[in-house]
Amino acid sequence: MGNKQTIFTDEQLDAYQDCTFFTRKEILRLHGRYHELAPHLVPMDYTNDPDCKLPLALIVNMPELKENPFCNRIVESFSEDGMGNLSFNEFVDMFSVLSEMAPRELKAIYAFKIYDFNVDNYLCKEDLEKTLNRLTKEELTPEEVVLVCEKAIEEADLDGDHKLSYADFENMITRAPDFLSTFHIRI
Amino acid sequence: MENKTVNFMRLLSEDSTHSTVSSDSCEYYQTEIFDLLPSIQASRPEQSRKPSEAYQDGPVPGEESIHGHLSSGPRDKAPTQPLRNMVICIQGKRSVRDRRKMQISDIGFWVSWRRSQSITMKRVWEQMGGALSGLLPWQHTLHAIEGRYGFGVKAYFVLLRYLVNLNLLHCALIFGFIVGPTIFYGRSKSSEPLKFGGNDSVLDFFLGSGYLDRSPVFYCFYTPGSLNMQCLNTPLLYLAGILTILFLTLILVVRRTTVGYKHTWMLGKQYSMNVSYKIFCGWDFTIQDPAAATLKHSFIRNDLKLFLEEQSFSLREAQRTLGQRVRLYLLRFFLNLLVLSLLGGAFYLIYFATNKSQDQGIPGERQWLVILVLQYLPPITISFVNLLLPHIFRKISSFEDYSFTMQVNATLVRSIFLKLASLGIYLFFIFKHLKDQSQCLENLFGREMYKLCIFNFLTAFCNAFFLNYPRKLLQEKYPSSLLAQLWGKQCFLVPFNVLDLVYIQTVSWVGVFYCPLLPLIGVVTLTATFYIQKFSVLRCCVAEQRMFRGSSSSVLFHFMLLLGLLMAVATLGFNLYQPREPACNHRFSCGPFGNGQNVFNVTGVCVDSLPSPAQSTLSYLNSSAFALPLILAEIIILTSYVSRGRANQKAIERLKDMLVMSSSDKRFLVKQHTTLLRRQRNPCRVRPAAIEENQRLPPES
Repeated sequence: MGNKQTIFTDEQLDAYQDCTFFTRKEILRLHGRYHELAPHLVPMDYTNDPDCKLPLALIVNMPELKENPFCNRIVESFSEDGMGNLSFNEFVDMFSVLSEMAPRELKAIYAFKIYDFNVDNYLCKEDLEKTLNRLTKEELTPEEVVLVCEKAIEEADLDGDHKLSYADFENMITRAPDFLSTFHIRI
Repeated sequence: MENKTVNFMRLLSEDSTHSTVSSDSCEYYQTEIFDLLPSIQASRPEQSRKPSEAYQDGPVPGEESIHGHLSSGPRDKAPTQPLRNMVICIQGKRSVRDRRKMQISDIGFWVSWRRSQSITMKRVWEQMGGALSGLLPWQHTLHAIEGRYGFGVKAYFVLLRYLVNLNLLHCALIFGFIVGPTIFYGRSKSSEPLKFGGNDSVLDFFLGSGYLDRSPVFYCFYTPGSLNMQCLNTPLLYLAGILTILFLTLILVVRRTTVGYKHTWMLGKQYSMNVSYKIFCGWDFTIQDPAAATLKHSFIRNDLKLFLEEQSFSLREAQRTLGQRVRLYLLRFFLNLLVLSLLGGAFYLIYFATNKSQDQGIPGERQWLVILVLQYLPPITISFVNLLLPHIFRKISSFEDYSFTMQVNATLVRSIFLKLASLGIYLFFIFKHLKDQSQCLENLFGREMYKLCIFNFLTAFCNAFFLNYPRKLLQEKYPSSLLAQLWGKQCFLVPFNVLDLVYIQTVSWVGVFYCPLLPLIGVVTLTATFYIQKFSVLRCCVAEQRMFRGSSSSVLFHFMLLLGLLMAVATLGFNLYQPREPACNHRFSCGPFGNGQNVFNVTGVCVDSLPSPAQSTLSYLNSSAFALPLILAEIIILTSYVSRGRANQKAIERLKDMLVMSSSDKRFLVKQHTTLLRRQRNPCRVRPAAIEENQRLPPES
């Protein structure tokens, strides 16, 4: 393939290709995007696995994520420390899971993490209310919000504990017709 | 608490909703016994226990972790599960990959070769799939439209593209069966030459007479040529071509209808009422444009408001008193009478226009413009009626106090009836008139269909450029003027535009026997319509504020397509079975079935030439002795499918119950175990709760 690049070793690129849904070209392009977020922080040479993490504020400014009401939660769920600081590996992982080629089960797992605002492994009413407010930019009245969230929990809750566990969420999302078509980011 | 009337609430066990010791949901996943449960063990390999695994982010028992149980350690469930699909961070995947590579040397050459082959094949398939989807025309435009105007408008353009593809298929079949043989084997010697003659003019392209009358566009061109075998001659090929087209279209449309029906109606609850889908799948993550994002926010908000409105409507409906109900039904009855009278008036207009246009008068007496207008009077009337009445129906249905979706569907049903019935009435009156004609009947009929198609296209063109665009300019330049306020901002009304599409396609199907190049004209006009509508949507329209439920209406659209096809088949059958006056045929032998032949003669000759077993089989298939067992067999098959579906539904309900009960059993047992362990460790702490605990412990403990 064309020019010899010196950012990654061939072995690293192969590993990326196997572990994500991206090709070599796309990995290199992703590295370019990662680099231009903070050119002075991100090294051009990744052959010896440098330990470099970009903060949440920089990543959320990317055009692909900027308009997303859940941008903070997305970045936080892919970061290892939970605060939104992404290394390049986590950056690639995030876009790989959100790419069009990722299967439904994988996306469902991460969707659950994203919507779980208080990170308690349940989608409780407060999580749903926060989700709804972010979706509608707080244009619904509080009573309407409560009504909608109650109806949503009623629909999806299988075991009757008034909150959605992962099993409930997955059961509901597998029957949603456009989950796959909406839950992806093209980069 | 138990057994609410909502579908998904099952029998609750009390302990799944509260426990005496801890109400913290996290604790359930941190208990020691949780890690020992067989279902959790099955999703973790033994390696996760080793502390030397550097990139483990699974929970050590008892320790809280951010990722919880979802990404518990590197999984290598199945060695052939693709690395990408695993729910661990990239470092974990890398270590799994290294481990697998090391395993390769243990596995042996054959297995590793197969694995690498499957990986390569997967990559090749992915690339091919990507290339094929890139070939779909106008994909980029559709994506842009969906981003700005939502799913409903995109569905219109998807249907348009589907119809273009369908018409291309028709063109290919027509070329193969009809035009091809005529080109290769020539026509009969008595047919007229195809040259620009004395009386021809440009007007012929609009009227379908003169030059166009003799051209391949119409039926009369295809006289039997040198291909004259018993079972392979031009007339038979012509008939076979048309029948293939109709049959193939029937299969495709039925398939599309049933797929849509299954998808929307039979997947348990109706999608439209599922708020959870709206919340979790509502936001389109591909949106990057701030304007599109604002639009999406308002879409979601409107959707939810619509849902809430429907909820309050059903509440209001349930609370109607008897007096209110009686008044409402009376009002609806009168409005329906109004609708019927409007329909009757429309049909009378069409009858009047058809009569006027068939009154030829002395040729040359009138100016060409008058002739043009008179000839086009029926299409003009039909288009006018089809343009005006659906909007009136829309207004009427808003008085009938239905929910918004029901209003849209009621308007749609009335408009569908209007369009199909107006076409049917027009065809009926044409038949009556043409019976007295002495010219080639088929050409006259084809001419009418041709005029309908051309005029539809002209209407769409003028609508976009002379109605929508000035309206938009008016809104922009003088937004406060009276006209702008009256007219309002225009939105792309999906239901009416889809109806137009289906209507055009029905006309094309009705006319394909008499005007074989009609699908080609259809392809050209539909492609032009795509760009015209794209201009209209992107430049002139704003996004509609009130979205309707697309799912139930799309089934209606496909059903209307099917109805149109059935109407075309019925018209064709009726026409073919008409007895022909021999006097007409003697003078004007037109088309493949001229010269005293009709469909039955030609097919009869072919059947007679077949070997006798085939003949007897055919005659058996024709007889009623075959029809009855066929109907019985179909009934039996249908019954078996329906009963199987019902049994499956019952099994699903039972399994759902089982799922809920076993998960609440699991929670109960885990909590019990935890409290017992806790009591063992801190005997003094839980004394107040111990008394209640004793009462609730199961007998086995």
